[in-house]
Amino acid sequence: MTTPLVRIDGVKKSFGKTVALHPLHLDIAEGEFVTFLGPSGCGKSTTLRVLGGFERPDEGRVILGGQDVTHLPPEKRPVNMVFQDYALFPHMTVRQNVSFGLELKGMGRGDIVRRADEIMAFLELDRFADRYPGQLSGGQRQRVALARALAPDPALLLLDEPLGALDAKLRGQVQQELKSIQRRTQKTFFFVTHDQEEALTMSDRIVVMKDGRIEQDGTPEELYFHPASRFVAEFIGETNLLSGEMRGVEDGRVVMDWNGHVLRGRAPAGVPRTGEPITASLRLERLGFFGDRPDTANAVQARVTSKTFLGSRMAVDLEVADAAGARLRAYVDTATGQGVGDAPVWLGWDADSLAVLRT
Amino acid sequence: MTRSTRIFMSCIYWAFVLYVFVPLILMVLMGFKDSKFIGFPITSWTLDWYVGVFEDAEILSTFGYSVAIAVLSTAISVVVGTWIAVVLEGRKFWGRAAMFGMTILPALVPGIISAIAFRIYARALGIEPGMGAIVWAHAVHNVPFVVLVVMARLSTLPKSQIEAARDLGADPFVAFLRITVPYLVPAIIGASIFCLLLSFDDFVRSFFLGGYEPTLPVLIFAKLRSGMSPEINAIATVALVLTAVVGVWAERFTRRTNKEA
Repeated sequence: MTTPLVRIDGVKKSFGKTVALHPLHLDIAEGEFVTFLGPSGCGKSTTLRVLGGFERPDEGRVILGGQDVTHLPPEKRPVNMVFQDYALFPHMTVRQNVSFGLELKGMGRGDIVRRADEIMAFLELDRFADRYPGQLSGGQRQRVALARALAPDPALLLLDEPLGALDAKLRGQVQQELKSIQRRTQKTFFFVTHDQEEALTMSDRIVVMKDGRIEQDGTPEELYFHPASRFVAEFIGETNLLSGEMRGVEDGRVVMDWNGHVLRGRAPAGVPRTGEPITASLRLERLGFFGDRPDTANAVQARVTSKTFLGSRMAVDLEVADAAGARLRAYVDTATGQGVGDAPVWLGWDADSLAVLRT
Repeated sequence: MTRSTRIFMSCIYWAFVLYVFVPLILMVLMGFKDSKFIGFPITSWTLDWYVGVFEDAEILSTFGYSVAIAVLSTAISVVVGTWIAVVLEGRKFWGRAAMFGMTILPALVPGIISAIAFRIYARALGIEPGMGAIVWAHAVHNVPFVVLVVMARLSTLPKSQIEAARDLGADPFVAFLRITVPYLVPAIIGASIFCLLLSFDDFVRSFFLGGYEPTLPVLIFAKLRSGMSPEINAIATVALVLTAVVGVWAERFTRRTNKEA
């Protein structure tokens, strides 16, 4: 890997007695769409504000493009931000808002007009150039905020939950737009959200935060299918959590005992010792339904207790046979779901689908 | 609410309106009476008193004097008051509550007491009674109103506005000039007009600190002593119409700009 665009080197931050960030280490490569995901108070916004220059870290350094910017105020950093409430200047037109950062960069008049025109055309705002923010819809304001932040051509763009104020329908559309804008501009996006769906759809990389620490750092697929902890497994998507006892490792697979059934799963970085309790995550759509015992790594017999129709798919709740009343939930396509009845079914899944969690 | 209480409540309201407006209406009516004596019945009408007011050089120059005092004292109050509001509304610091209390105090001190205090203080400093002293006293008295109005507006400025300006390259001073000040304009205009009216209307401070030249309220008072005459009603009516027009216009203006923002 070439030198990272951003290096967060042991940044620590407390507010009074509350520790917002434990020493945090993170590298961000140029052109990456990185999402910081977590519940409120997890430190994601503090990280963003440290990068923007709005918070001084107590310890550690922030390196941007090889330069130590830890002690630079916001106006001296090649970083721009899209605020949660957009923070558009109400007394300025769209054009004046977009030009604000360019003027302060000391650009010439002609260059400012040209650059503002360019960015407004890019975000399809040219029609609104002379309107005031008060005369725009939520989605349009969001685009103005983006245009204003992109206009000065920042090395890093910070986005602080910018979709929170939009209604659900618009949000999906804006997610696509944002992702495509990021691809076309090849800018580095640092996105902060508590919405796992936003994180999954847009990011190249997701950093899950909890209590001021990085819980897991990986691609959306890695986080979804191979969550490292119970927190990540439950925070992202829906999952079955299987608690059992560690039996050992065979052919690189963890062997666990789950209510009397022997299951094989994907091992985490640090494998627990034999006899210790362990928990594994099994995604709902990874369960296969079979008439006879399948030859998958894991197979159990179960009885359907209820079915929920969800349109394109069905959620099926099952009680596993000979497992002390243990339950599983599965997503199946509607045709399969309608096919299963009262007769016991076989459930099968491969070892990779069962992610043993770090406890 | 029952029907009878509703009727009762609206009766009280209209009684209040009558109580407020009847004296004003009587005052205006008497200004049009063609007789030297104030009182009913009015048998014939005239505009002579008004013509007299606009031809009287003393009244006109006094009016100009009052306006000049109002404008000067307002200018000082607005600059000082806005500055104090910005300091108080910014970061929390030790003694902020005490500072706020002391800032507001001049508005609460009874006029006669502050007027005497100003008079003694002015003499101790060697300030001659006259325009300078009046402007100074009015400015001090009006600062609290500016502080209150500007602080109220400032407290609604989202923090992200300043942060966004800083983020886009503005240092704190530029952010203040280009974001905070425009945001405060409606409040500053509203406060200015309020100060103009307060100063124009003030009698006690102007009386105690004035020199040989009277302000309009002081002149009216002097004229009253030589007996009531419809001329006073005419002066008062002109002043009433002017202040009402300015007040209503200011109120509408502040509301409109608030909505735009």
